[in-house]
Amino acid sequence: VDKIKCSGPTQDSRSVVSRFQQRYWKTKQTLIRVSGKKEDQHVVASDADLDAKLEVFHSIQRTCMELLKVIEQYQRRICFLSQEENELGRFLRSQGSQDKSRAGKIMQATGKALCFSSQQRPALRKPLCRLYQEVETFRFRAISDTWLTVKRMEQSRTEYRGALLWMKDVSAELDPDTRKQMDKFRKVQAEVRCTKRSFDQLKMDVCQKVDLLGASRCNLLSHVLATYQVRLGRGLPVGEQQCCCLQRSLIGHHKALSEMFVAMETNSPNSSSMSSKT
Amino acid sequence: MAYAYLFKYIIIGDTGVGKSCLLLQFTDKRFQPVHDLTIGVEFGARMITIDGKQIKLQIWDTAGQESFRSITRSYYRGAAGALLVYDITRRDTFNHLTTWLEDARQHSNSNMVIMLIGNKSDLESRREVKKEEGEAFAREHGLIFMETSAKTASNVEEAFINTAKEIYEKIQEGVFDINNEANGIKIGPQHPTTNSTLPGSQGGQQAGGGCC
Repeated sequence: VDKIKCSGPTQDSRSVVSRFQQRYWKTKQTLIRVSGKKEDQHVVASDADLDAKLEVFHSIQRTCMELLKVIEQYQRRICFLSQEENELGRFLRSQGSQDKSRAGKIMQATGKALCFSSQQRPALRKPLCRLYQEVETFRFRAISDTWLTVKRMEQSRTEYRGALLWMKDVSAELDPDTRKQMDKFRKVQAEVRCTKRSFDQLKMDVCQKVDLLGASRCNLLSHVLATYQVRLGRGLPVGEQQCCCLQRSLIGHHKALSEMFVAMETNSPNSSSMSSKT
Repeated sequence: MAYAYLFKYIIIGDTGVGKSCLLLQFTDKRFQPVHDLTIGVEFGARMITIDGKQIKLQIWDTAGQESFRSITRSYYRGAAGALLVYDITRRDTFNHLTTWLEDARQHSNSNMVIMLIGNKSDLESRREVKKEEGEAFAREHGLIFMETSAKTASNVEEAFINTAKEIYEKIQEGVFDINNEANGIKIGPQHPTTNSTLPGSQGGQQAGGGCC
């Protein structure tokens, strides 16, 4: 709105030549930027705070994208893991039921624990789905809105820097006592003032929006990840407990096995090389 | 208006040190607490009398903001005197003086008279830079020094006029070649060596613009 207010009346009274000149300097600035030519270091330095904010914005943009990809992969892997666990568990249980020894019992217990944990894993999917949706919405709404402001700011920055180039050009030959030169200078000065006002406004908008964007993403993550953490915490201790029991019985079993090997070793001297391996 | 000489002055220094206010106080004897940001450069002029001669001071009040730095450099050319201003209530404006001085020395003629000004001397309670520090800096770099207040008009006249006196002396000593316009000195129109650019020449002005 500010920009329209400021460029409206001048646009009308401006001659075709002036408009052409303005376009010329804007295009020149665009070319400088696109071709990656070195820009005026003081002008660049005066935008340092803005450029730092833009860096933050791009990082938010990039990491949100990465987060979405990772969530997707994570979910897929959880699915696979759950399936594999379930199959292994069922296999161990069926094999264990055929084995009447102590090993069979352990196999059955392991199988049961695996089946149980495979059922627990999909519970993580719900909070992950929610996280995905929230981040997706954040990207569509908040990031794209900020991106639009950034784009408008960049447009305005090009106009402003173009006007500065123009001012530098007319400043090379300037004599305040020469009417013609002063008229020209005043025209360019008005242009710089106008583009500067709109650029400064948009610059502030961008900085505020990026700050807000960062804060709201933190807020979003801590909120949604809380449920994920709760689910993760609920599923894990159960599985952990079962695994501990198993480990204890496995240690006992391992003792029995080694006793068996020792007995075998003393009975047959031929198998000594084999038993030493285990 | 007839004048014997015209001196080009340039006022430089960080943004917000009171360059435009000093000019306004000198030319209009007014003080504006809130001043618009200078875009590029603004101009002021005043007649003074030194040694019975009318001297026109043509003052270029430059923008202090960093984005205008490259533009303001082109204004140094042909300046006979420079007012390098800092704000006594802001230490950083004093710390930047070396950069400004380097800039000035690099882009102007070597004889340019530089006056160091510590402005806002009325704000004694908020002072961050001691007067002695300003004096020491001026001594070290061969500048004239003064503390001024654009608000109370203290030392403002003196700052501009003493610079002019210094330039005038240099002319008398023959340091400045007055026929070389690059030195920032023009001889007035009543002299036989009249210059082509008369003040207020109406040559070929175009309509339009007028929006500032």
